[in-house]
Amino acid sequence: MNNSSDSSEDKGVVIQVKNTQKETVNDFLKKAMEQGVFDAVLISVKVPAGDSFAYVLLTDKELLKDTFPLPPIMSVQGAKAISSITRRGKGNKKIAAIMRPCEIRATVELTKLGQIDLDNIVLISMDCFGVMPTPSFIKDPEKSLKKFEDAIRIEDDTVMRPVCRICDKSSMVAGDLHIGTRGVQKDAFFIVSNTKKGKDILDKLGLISNKNIDTWLAKVKENAKEKQKKRKQAHKDLQSSIKNLDKFLDTFSHCINCHNCMRACPICCCRVCYFDSDKMKHPSDDYLRIAKSKGSIRFLPDTTIFHIGRMVHMSLSCVSCGSCEDACPMSIPVAQLFSMTADETQGLFDYIAGKSLEEPLPLTTFIKEELSEVEDVHD
Amino acid sequence: MNNKNSNSDILVIGAGIAGIEASLMLSKSDRKVHLIEKNSYTGGMSIKFEEVFSNMECSTCMISPKQQDLLQDKNINLIMLATVEDVKGSPGDFKVKIHKKPRYVDMDNCIGCTACFDPCPVSIKNEFEEGLSTRKAIYIPCAGALPNVPCIDTNNCLRFQGKDCQACQDACMFNAIDFNQKDEKIELNVEAIIVATGYKLFDPNNTPHYGYKKINDVYTALEFERLYASNGPTQGKIQLKNGKTPKSGAIIHCIGRDKQGYCSSVCCMYSLKFNHYLKSKIPEIQIFELYTDLCIPGKSHQKFYEKIKQTGTTLIRATDIKITQQGQKIAITHTDEKGKKRNIIVDMVILSPAIVPNTDASQLANILGITCDDLGFYKEENQNISSVVTPKPGVFIVGCSQGPKNIQETVSQANAAVGKILSASQEGING
Amino acid sequence: MDRKIGVYICECGPNIAEKIDIDKVIKAVSPLDDVSIATRYKLLCSEQGKKFLEEQIKKNGLTHLVVAACSPRDHQHTFMTICENAGINPFLFQLANIREQCAWITENKEEATNKAIRLTKAAIGRVRYHVPLEKKEIESNPDVLVIGGGIAGMEASLHLASPQRKIYLVEKTSQLGGVVTNLEKTFPDMQSCPKIIQDKIDQVTNNDNIKVYTNCEVTEILGFFGNFEGTVTQNNNEDKTTVGFNVGAVVLATGCALFDPTDDPNYGYGKFDNVITALEFEKMNLAGNIRLKNGKTPKSVAIIHCVGRDKKGYCSEICCMYSIKFVRYLQNKIPEIKISNFYTDLCLPEKSYQKFYEQSRGKKNDFIRIDSIKITNPGNKLTITHNDEQGNKKSHGVDMVILSPALEPSVDTKKLAEFTRISQDDEGFFAEEHEKLGPVTTSTEGVYIAGCAQGPKSIQNTLIQAEAVAGKILSSLIPGKKIEPEVKVAHISESFCIGCKTCLTVCSYGVITFDSTKKVCVANEVICRGCGNCVAACPSGAASLKHFTFNQLRQELKEAVL
Repeated sequence: MNNSSDSSEDKGVVIQVKNTQKETVNDFLKKAMEQGVFDAVLISVKVPAGDSFAYVLLTDKELLKDTFPLPPIMSVQGAKAISSITRRGKGNKKIAAIMRPCEIRATVELTKLGQIDLDNIVLISMDCFGVMPTPSFIKDPEKSLKKFEDAIRIEDDTVMRPVCRICDKSSMVAGDLHIGTRGVQKDAFFIVSNTKKGKDILDKLGLISNKNIDTWLAKVKENAKEKQKKRKQAHKDLQSSIKNLDKFLDTFSHCINCHNCMRACPICCCRVCYFDSDKMKHPSDDYLRIAKSKGSIRFLPDTTIFHIGRMVHMSLSCVSCGSCEDACPMSIPVAQLFSMTADETQGLFDYIAGKSLEEPLPLTTFIKEELSEVEDVHD
Repeated sequence: MNNKNSNSDILVIGAGIAGIEASLMLSKSDRKVHLIEKNSYTGGMSIKFEEVFSNMECSTCMISPKQQDLLQDKNINLIMLATVEDVKGSPGDFKVKIHKKPRYVDMDNCIGCTACFDPCPVSIKNEFEEGLSTRKAIYIPCAGALPNVPCIDTNNCLRFQGKDCQACQDACMFNAIDFNQKDEKIELNVEAIIVATGYKLFDPNNTPHYGYKKINDVYTALEFERLYASNGPTQGKIQLKNGKTPKSGAIIHCIGRDKQGYCSSVCCMYSLKFNHYLKSKIPEIQIFELYTDLCIPGKSHQKFYEKIKQTGTTLIRATDIKITQQGQKIAITHTDEKGKKRNIIVDMVILSPAIVPNTDASQLANILGITCDDLGFYKEENQNISSVVTPKPGVFIVGCSQGPKNIQETVSQANAAVGKILSASQEGING
Repeated sequence: MDRKIGVYICECGPNIAEKIDIDKVIKAVSPLDDVSIATRYKLLCSEQGKKFLEEQIKKNGLTHLVVAACSPRDHQHTFMTICENAGINPFLFQLANIREQCAWITENKEEATNKAIRLTKAAIGRVRYHVPLEKKEIESNPDVLVIGGGIAGMEASLHLASPQRKIYLVEKTSQLGGVVTNLEKTFPDMQSCPKIIQDKIDQVTNNDNIKVYTNCEVTEILGFFGNFEGTVTQNNNEDKTTVGFNVGAVVLATGCALFDPTDDPNYGYGKFDNVITALEFEKMNLAGNIRLKNGKTPKSVAIIHCVGRDKKGYCSEICCMYSIKFVRYLQNKIPEIKISNFYTDLCLPEKSYQKFYEQSRGKKNDFIRIDSIKITNPGNKLTITHNDEQGNKKSHGVDMVILSPALEPSVDTKKLAEFTRISQDDEGFFAEEHEKLGPVTTSTEGVYIAGCAQGPKSIQNTLIQAEAVAGKILSSLIPGKKIEPEVKVAHISESFCIGCKTCLTVCSYGVITFDSTKKVCVANEVICRGCGNCVAACPSGAASLKHFTFNQLRQELKEAVL
């Protein structure tokens, strides 16, 4: 069971909510730490200044009561945090990471790309109702936080980022455990296990997956369907507004070549970005020659090809998390464009980035009968 | 004792796929090769096919890089329009006499521009195209033939019949046409001889009940290959003699098998390949395959057969086949596997004939000092030693000149013959 | 960088001159940066043309050469040699094909000229970014490791061995000879197998240049063509020793296994007495002991062809012939015996096989065509039930049933394929490099396959393949001769590589290895074939292909289409 399937054999654990959902989640994590199921937790907290949120790796379970899983903004994509932790190999302690489905999916993709070692990491995802655009959030953090919490309560996503509003994978289960909150009574939520690791944890905690999760599955399916419709329409609109190469260039015309989108992107994990390197720098006479033949040449000359190149490099693993658009100082709709393209490129191979750790990356698989629609049909 | 001959050249007779493979391999080990070919082009039979089984790879695409390598290889002395006249001497030291006919075109000056074809007033049936189209007296057998240099057919060229004509020479901008070229006698000293002279197909005129040459639209396998070939007489369009597209076709296996007394091992597979040819150009065509035993050894071959079966072909195990004209169509009467007499009506018939030895096989055998078996193929010494070895040391037989086989087995034999030659002349090995 | 590009446009007789306005092309490319001379010539590939080019390069002090003429297949090599002779690196050259790709296929002269201009500009654009590349030479080891001491392995070894080339023949069991040691006679000549095999074994044992290792299992094969390191574990009674070999080539001659009919309910193998496989019958026959389980001599035998053919999905080529050979064995040893052969299609694919079949038919034997068959044992009498050609059910009672099973890959195929980084085909046999033109070579240079390890075949064809392998090795691995690896190979930049191993997964030639300390991938330039798969797949641009770099291709494309 990976996302909204309607198998009635799927069962989960029901956790009764004490006070708030957030508290109950943190309680669950505390109990797990007490019982030694994991030694540390990677989770979001509000920063001391109060105007942002950040991931912390905490070992003191008492600090769990002040944490804020699935915060209103995505300051750092969770997969990047996990990647840093295991950059030099796995540690001996078990760490649980609790984050959004898209962050879990990015973690799965990075694992396939050899950048993360998941051996001692437990991935816990939660139903996500969206993320607010960082630039607008920090204009008035207090008010924005209230807007966020209100919006979640009534499942209204108008204040969320454009890519979040059309996200149909906000309840996708790609990690070890998933906390399902959609459509359940306000005083309870589900925990479902997706892997043996997840099941072992529930066993250790004495939690039995014997409750029917149909209500949640149904709500997830309904939400996904609605979002898919919106997504299709949004992509159609976006495509028609960029229907030719000139329009595409116009979209990126105010790009300032800061490469922030690449730095914020979890999938962009290269130590040296090809486009930051000397490989894209030419002898000055060559620039002059191009200027002569075309009249003039824009500097920096690799502005647009950077985006196209980045798309080629990461599109098959793009999880539509939207970090890139948040990071862009010029408010270019990068995430919307890249997300739309990712749907198409991944669709060519019937691949959904981050859905399954076992599913190999499309570029590494060879199937005799593939892409026959673009081949020259000779026989 | 170092027995390495000071003369270590090798003679390879026949520049088909076997001869080309053997020559290239010998050249790789720095041996000088004299490659004799009786035709004006290289590639033998295999370049007549458009595709080969079982992966339907383009045959010319597969072979032409090898032909190209051959033409540019400094170790290979390619002598075309040539035959072996005499072989004397002993193993390790054969003295060979070659008769080379003139091409009448200078191979160094000619660039293959084909400007000399149009002006030639003579038009004759093109043998390469199995008579399905015509050529001039100065000609290249087909587009893409290598070397890309024409030759003059003196039997039909007006000038060589005593008339005054030099149309081709006038049209040539490179002084490539030389009527004064003469026959050459070439003498070679070689260490070993590889015979790779190939085969021809059984002539269905010998089995009149198949209606060949009596009924329109009854084709032999090679004729159909040329019909399908993109560089063939119809540029690959499969059409009847009246220009119409056939709606149904029958492929008859085992033509001549009874007369010859053996199974040619490749015909079932190429007959299935023809099925694929027909379906790919005419998807709605109805096809019948009439066979006696399905002979499809080869690890990937049955898969191919299953694929063809799925296209809806009707496979009939048939005996007592008789083919007659019925109005505009063709009637095939036969006895099916249950013993019932049946009749099918089709637009087109393709006959898959047996592979038989070349007409001049026994003559060449005499010259070389080897024998033919009672089927007419060159006789190996002992199959359990190696099927490329003859009783005459130093003379090896490979490919279909030794017996019907497919390209894979032909190439293996060519490699094996070279293996035997190189092995015997390794330093420190006594011949 | 001070480039001096010389651009020469060949008229190729009327081929190019009549279809393209060459002067217009010259006019278009002459003013381009770095173009020091642009001119035309009648026929560059002629002797005078070649001399002209060489002189031009020297006279004008050219640093790069662009020729607009025919296909690279024709004269790439010619012009590269001219560069070398004139003193410039042959890779600082680009050939624009304005004949096959322009003049010969474009009717309209103006269109053809414009296209020729673009193609020539593209060649100039590309050649600017060319870098000199040098040919390399590496030492090679002429010795050979032959895995499998059956008839294929022995034949290959005998043809390869010489004082300059040592052969290491490793065999899994305690004896040389393989499956042929179980046979009494070959088909169609009915020659003695023991004699043939003993002959080979004697020759191998007496050959000073062949070292035989029995009771060996291969545990590792590392390296590449010319420089392999093979390791085997030898089991001598309770002792286990490790033996290592340094060789230049590896031959896989591991034979095949027989399909096990146990699980097929139609045959009763393993359930009923006196239902035996072909190999069991061969052994019985060789021992001169064709008997039923109760010790009596059988009076009737059924031989069932094509056992397992449906399951395996291919015809094993030799079973019909050996089944007919069994008829001969039986006629010889038990003259009064009644024999029935049950078959689906008779496969007799060699020139002398049909005669063998026809001469084996007799009064006491039948050849019966079936489409399905079932063997039962009612009242302890083996009964064969099948449909005849009219579709009627028929049954026969026999004393003994011989099953002729399909040939399948040996159990070691998977392991050895992994060690040598070659593939197995869909049927599980070692995959040859090319179905038609490369039956004994594989995708790993220096690894060869012969005999039934490549696919079911007769003894005669096995011998041929073993000799073919010998030929391949003898012509490419010459004692004292260095190997010239491919020049245009892949290179993985250590600083860019993120260790995702995508390139490793897509390389068909085992070129790429993962350095677990540095956590990057490394390409072995010596065995790289320059296919470019890794370059296309690399998500960080770390992999590049010499002579086909991103910039070279980008400039060529830009000039061609913009």
